[in-house]
Amino acid sequence: MGELKVVGKKVERVDVRSKVTGGALYAADVQLAGMLYGKIVRCYDHAHARVTSLDLSEAVKCKGVIKVLGPKDVTQKEYNASVLDMMVSADMRGVLGDIDDQSIFTDHVKHYGDAIAAVIATSEEAAERAAEKIKATYEELPVYLTADDAKQPDALQFRPEKPGNLAFQLPEMAFPNNAYAWGEVDDSFAEADIIVEDSFYVSKQKQCQMEPGSYIALYDDQKRLNCWTSTQMPKLVQKKLANLYELPMTRVKIHTTVIGGGFGARLGMVLEPETCALAMAVPGRPVKLLSPREEDWLTSPSRHPGKYWMKMGFKKDGTPVACDAKFENYKGAYYVDASGTAFTTGAWLGGMYKFDSLRYRGESYYTNQSICGAFRGYGNPQTNFVMEQMVDRGCAQLGADPIEWRKKWHKTIGDDGWCIGVPYNSCALDECLDRAAEAISWTEKRVKYKNQTGVKRRGIGVAVMNHTSGAMPMLLEHTVCDVLLHQDATATINLACSDMGQGSHTTLRQVAAETLDFPYDDIHIATGDTDAAGFDIGAHASRTLYVGGGAVKQACEDVRRQLFDRAALELEEDASNLYMEDKIIHVKGASNKSISVQTIADQGVNNFMNPETGELIGQPGQIQGYASFFPPHNAPPFGATIAEVEVDTETGEVKVIELVNAHDVGRAIHPGVVEGQLDGGAQQGLGMALTEETYFDEKGICLNNSFTDYKMFGPSDMPKMTNILVENPDPTGPFGAKGVGEAGIVPPVGATANAIFNAIGVQILEAPITPEKILKALEEKNNA
Amino acid sequence: MKKHAITLTVNGEERDLIVPSNRTLLDALRDDLGYTDTKYGCGTGECGACTVLVDGKTSINGCLTLAATMDGKSITTAAGLARDGNLHPVQQAFIDNDAIQCGFCTPGMVLKAVSILDENPNPTEEEIRHGLEGSICRCTGYTKIVDAVQDASNRLSGVGE
Repeated sequence: MGELKVVGKKVERVDVRSKVTGGALYAADVQLAGMLYGKIVRCYDHAHARVTSLDLSEAVKCKGVIKVLGPKDVTQKEYNASVLDMMVSADMRGVLGDIDDQSIFTDHVKHYGDAIAAVIATSEEAAERAAEKIKATYEELPVYLTADDAKQPDALQFRPEKPGNLAFQLPEMAFPNNAYAWGEVDDSFAEADIIVEDSFYVSKQKQCQMEPGSYIALYDDQKRLNCWTSTQMPKLVQKKLANLYELPMTRVKIHTTVIGGGFGARLGMVLEPETCALAMAVPGRPVKLLSPREEDWLTSPSRHPGKYWMKMGFKKDGTPVACDAKFENYKGAYYVDASGTAFTTGAWLGGMYKFDSLRYRGESYYTNQSICGAFRGYGNPQTNFVMEQMVDRGCAQLGADPIEWRKKWHKTIGDDGWCIGVPYNSCALDECLDRAAEAISWTEKRVKYKNQTGVKRRGIGVAVMNHTSGAMPMLLEHTVCDVLLHQDATATINLACSDMGQGSHTTLRQVAAETLDFPYDDIHIATGDTDAAGFDIGAHASRTLYVGGGAVKQACEDVRRQLFDRAALELEEDASNLYMEDKIIHVKGASNKSISVQTIADQGVNNFMNPETGELIGQPGQIQGYASFFPPHNAPPFGATIAEVEVDTETGEVKVIELVNAHDVGRAIHPGVVEGQLDGGAQQGLGMALTEETYFDEKGICLNNSFTDYKMFGPSDMPKMTNILVENPDPTGPFGAKGVGEAGIVPPVGATANAIFNAIGVQILEAPITPEKILKALEEKNNA
Repeated sequence: MKKHAITLTVNGEERDLIVPSNRTLLDALRDDLGYTDTKYGCGTGECGACTVLVDGKTSINGCLTLAATMDGKSITTAAGLARDGNLHPVQQAFIDNDAIQCGFCTPGMVLKAVSILDENPNPTEEEIRHGLEGSICRCTGYTKIVDAVQDASNRLSGVGE
């Protein structure tokens, strides 16, 4: 690889000018002629109840009301808002047991905020007023909030096909004994000198993307269903809506608007089915549906909370012999993503350390909580909280340094990755650990913070993680990219990958510019139109740069090959004897023989006849590049965080002093973009560890579905942050890049928990680690 | 409900409108006047996405302000910060410091930064962080936003030029 001209450079991001002036149009900002407004009526009285009566009559009479819709007025088809079922084969879908169990409006309320009806009116206010007039009565049902509640023998069954309210467990056919496993765990534990074991709780964290759910749908005069949405997955949502409304894909169009953050909350469908149901009821009129923050909280998926048990065995010399774990997650009211996270939570565990044997069982239980689905890390933060605390407990008993132990026993190149049978092909975790340790003076501080007795105690802790770039081979990985070379020798790259703010359109443009050897400004990334763009899975699993970038690179190489082929014909030289510089193609060693890309591109479009000779000038046909790209691997990113905290032993308060995040990113296509991912991930990781949890009372009423009552790290809460980008090119990534969209959130979770352990000598087993849990643990320690 | 005839000067342009007593400034700007650069993030004054400037300096939450109380006031939204096609130094600093990701908080965040610097042209990092409280960003961890405000402070006070 020669010197890189655009990759690795801090170019201006493609979208920031319109964002800084406010010109960027998010879905709520889109105005269409004749717009109507929808309001969904939700049950805020109960978390589990049957609707015994629904009176729409008063609402119909309200000023401005166009239509009022109950459960029978919309499609009766059940659906599954997740798109995971579209990323596996039909056979696999059967094996997994995915089911459709959601309906547009329900007469069986299964969580606080479940939808029972809707109003369409001429203004938002009129719709809200009318919605208040809808009267429902309910028969209250028992509320099940945890897996233990839901699996009671006499518990009501959420779905007849899911006995015991067990929505999902690892299927026997793919996972013998319902476990992701290798070796014989019981035999291995018999060889252990030290065994650590505990039961943890991981919390229901919310993405809190800044843009609340906003949608517009229009069933137009051409009988096409249009939906404006800030989805992470336009092509799969297009197909899902086509299936739900029984339309060919040619009659469903997703207009992807600027996305105000995703983090998994917009993975799959959210309120697209409901918005389209309203639009189908008023053909020819666009209907806008705006979720207030409190509603967005309850209708978009959260992280999977649950009980996470883990046991690890070590030999005296530190050898990790066995790991056994079980995650029983509280899935929420509907199936949605019951299978994916239940599996991956264990996969990240399996991908981290060289245990002789390992067994992980993942189970998803229906509960009367809002739904769970994808959230940045996809099970990895949960595993990090538990696994990394167990490792540090083991290290404490072994007398081992947590960094040295991790360096010795983490998996690396050639070892099985998170998917058994797919070995890691790159890993720079040792360098991450070494550089992070040096940056924060690990060794000195571990000595200094021993045996503190003051009120405020410092602690320092480490955690590591492995993740993925794309979901291959678990899920389908495929992106189509078209490159259109215009007659002025600029190029438009057309693909369906959403940029939800992470900067992927910038980095994809850099990949295109570098591959074509065009200036960055000569490239435009066109996305968001499902009529024009070919297939793409969507923005998830840290895949957009790795897989989308792979597609862009391949399609641009196609353009370059065509340019060289045409130049070869024009210059009467072999293509292998040509080179390009400043968009001019030269013959090697013959400086006077050249043709510009501009000429080739122009002649391809404007293929005029030479009036004297009657021959066509140049090579005809507009050059287009194409790739239908399936990545060869999943280029695992690795990372380490070291956290330093100060714990007030009188109040239980934790102040995070410093975080050092060192990540093996393959190659930083845009260093500012990569740092931004690590910074933002850390803010969420710290929240997961210390403050963020969605609380419900015993009746299942959500207590903090608002920014007022849900505590995120604010500007003054954030610690000193240092990011170390370790660039160890992955052999399969575009220019060596790996996906870093999720990596940043993961190790701050375990590192913060371990720093608290280091400070106070006791581990807190429930996330988030709030002051009252610390005080309780300290009290128990003192009483012991 | 009582309606009020009011005049707002938004980004230097005088606009007459009639609003009911309960109309928020946010809704009046977005829905009545089309200033969609002012964002709804929470509706409860917690996130600052609806921040606008009154009389060019004081930042307020549009979602907590009734439009009728703003009669005769001058309001600045993010769209009104640029002058003669040039971005405001705070806007340019947000771009140059990679302080923008999803961009949904950006208009409010930029206006908040302008008001911080108007009050205190040379803030410390701690003062910047304190000043940004009440504006939520979920993408950046605030790191690069703080860098951008610091950088803008330097630009506005001529440091390093």
